[in-house]
Amino acid sequence: MISRRHFLSAGAGAATMLASRVPGAHAASGQVVVGTWGGDYGQLLSDLIDKPLLTPKGIEVLQDVANADPRKTKLLAERQSRRGSMDVACLSDSDHYIVAGTDAFEAVDGAKVSRLDKVFPELRTDTAIPHIYSAQVILYNENLVKAPPTSWAELWDPKWRGRIGLADILYPANTLAAALAGGGGVSNYDPAEKKLMELRSLDVKIYPSNEALAAGLKSEEVWFTIMWLARGFMWKKAGIPLSHVVPREGAVSIVFEASVPRNARNKDGGFAYLDAMLDPKAQAAFADKMGYVPTVSDAVLPEDLAKQVSLSEADRARLLKPDYKYQTERAQRTLDFWNKQFKG
Amino acid sequence: MTVTDKTRDKGAAKVNFAVQGVAFLVLPACLLVLALLIGPMILMFRISLNRFSPTQLMIEAFSFDNYARAAADPYYQEIILTTLGMALLCTALTLVIAFPAAYWVGRLESRWKSLVVIATLFPLLVGNVVRSAGWMALFSREGLINAVLLKVRVISEPLTLMYTPKAVVFGIIAVVLPYMILTIASVIESIPRDLEDAAANLGASGLQTFWRVILPLSAPGVAAGSILVFVLCMNTYATAVLLGGPRFKMMAPAIFDQFVRGNNWPMGAALAFMLLAVTMSFTIFGSIAFARRYRVR
Repeated sequence: MISRRHFLSAGAGAATMLASRVPGAHAASGQVVVGTWGGDYGQLLSDLIDKPLLTPKGIEVLQDVANADPRKTKLLAERQSRRGSMDVACLSDSDHYIVAGTDAFEAVDGAKVSRLDKVFPELRTDTAIPHIYSAQVILYNENLVKAPPTSWAELWDPKWRGRIGLADILYPANTLAAALAGGGGVSNYDPAEKKLMELRSLDVKIYPSNEALAAGLKSEEVWFTIMWLARGFMWKKAGIPLSHVVPREGAVSIVFEASVPRNARNKDGGFAYLDAMLDPKAQAAFADKMGYVPTVSDAVLPEDLAKQVSLSEADRARLLKPDYKYQTERAQRTLDFWNKQFKG
Repeated sequence: MTVTDKTRDKGAAKVNFAVQGVAFLVLPACLLVLALLIGPMILMFRISLNRFSPTQLMIEAFSFDNYARAAADPYYQEIILTTLGMALLCTALTLVIAFPAAYWVGRLESRWKSLVVIATLFPLLVGNVVRSAGWMALFSREGLINAVLLKVRVISEPLTLMYTPKAVVFGIIAVVLPYMILTIASVIESIPRDLEDAAANLGASGLQTFWRVILPLSAPGVAAGSILVFVLCMNTYATAVLLGGPRFKMMAPAIFDQFVRGNNWPMGAALAFMLLAVTMSFTIFGSIAFARRYRVR
């Protein structure tokens, strides 16, 4: 016989089950699909964020691993769809600007991401959280180069003929470095074309990926490259004898960001994920493992680590933020010049 | 009309009826092709007529500007010529390398034959990227070839083997060889061995038998294998990128560049259709010329 208490209890259970199937009925639970890079980044997300911070909240994280270009293309292709394939999309600041321009991302604010108030104000955007950041510097082999260049312009010295290697995939960043070497800036890439052709005549080597470039640096095929300070930190940890110079003209910042697409299936889960990405312990661990600097004020790094991955006060004063609008409007010309003239 | 003729007509009619009766069986395949090939192609063609904007990415338009710009651009002209040259070279080399192997496989009468066929197929079980990574380990400055040559003091400095067109040719041939071998072998299997014996009895040398008997009779296999390999070569992506390096350009990586790196879908779609047009033209004209030469039906 069913007692009144049993009946009420069963009814409450059924109601709970029904409610759990209604979208949004349970804030920040269920499954979250994170579009991210693989390798160390994906692994660290899994170890520092997914398992310790989200699993206890009942959120199951699935990683959709790909490079940034396919992810960006996927977001653009899916933006008209009612349901997208990602709840969180990780992109660099430049790629985020392009996709955000198509109104593909949800707005981010303190009500959705409670730790947003800890983010350094200069790194904030309307539709993303800044996860980690670094700066573009000159990396050089400290065993072979005793008097390294102190500016982008000095890197173009003929005495380094055949000793400079660049990653093909970083062509926008390389073009900006060339612009700075030629007296241009974040809003003026015009001098870059002449400087890139000069670099070509200095027998610059172009590698298809960062990994191939690292192999070139390790084998001493090349002695210099233009790269993020954080990646230099990782390569040093891997045993490549590298040091870095923050060029006099300035170092360009790179921020890796995360957003929730408008057509995400689990937006609450997505925002919970963004919040967890700003966790101070996770941020400090990213700095320790990958060399990227935290984006929140309450993530404190050990002094020794901070010295290796952060910029000094003087260098930070010369940190340049890309002009995203200019860079985007000029993107086709930059790509065409890189492919047709510089590599052609 | 004789009774025999009437009987034959009735038989043919029955066969036709039977064929018509099961014609609906092609429907699932046709629908699949329509949905997954023709549909997206129509969509892509429409995209190729749009205009690119760096900020809005794609603006609705109806113009052949992208085709005109690509056709007039020396950069793309060179890429098309490189792609065509690589595809023709690789197809020819693959044919030369594959034919003896195909003949051996086709004529093999052994209980191990199925194992030989599986061994031929084995390279296809390894993905293009994995296979190219293997080639990279072989060709790189610290790779096996350079290590051996340095060790035996044939060279004093490592050779540049990676990121060269030669590396791409090796890589592509390794990928497409099984297709050519198996296609030709299946045709050679059907050529009666008696014909070779008859040619020998009539005084033909081995070369004459090959040239006058085997090659013409295996022409359908050579044509099919060459078309298959040529199409695969024209669309090479992973091998060209991984072994050719950033400076070596074929059409598939150039299309990828426009779609993914440049976000210029209209230009990427136009280039894709240009590649399709060049591939189809060469395939169709090549098949017609080959059929005329060897009377293949």
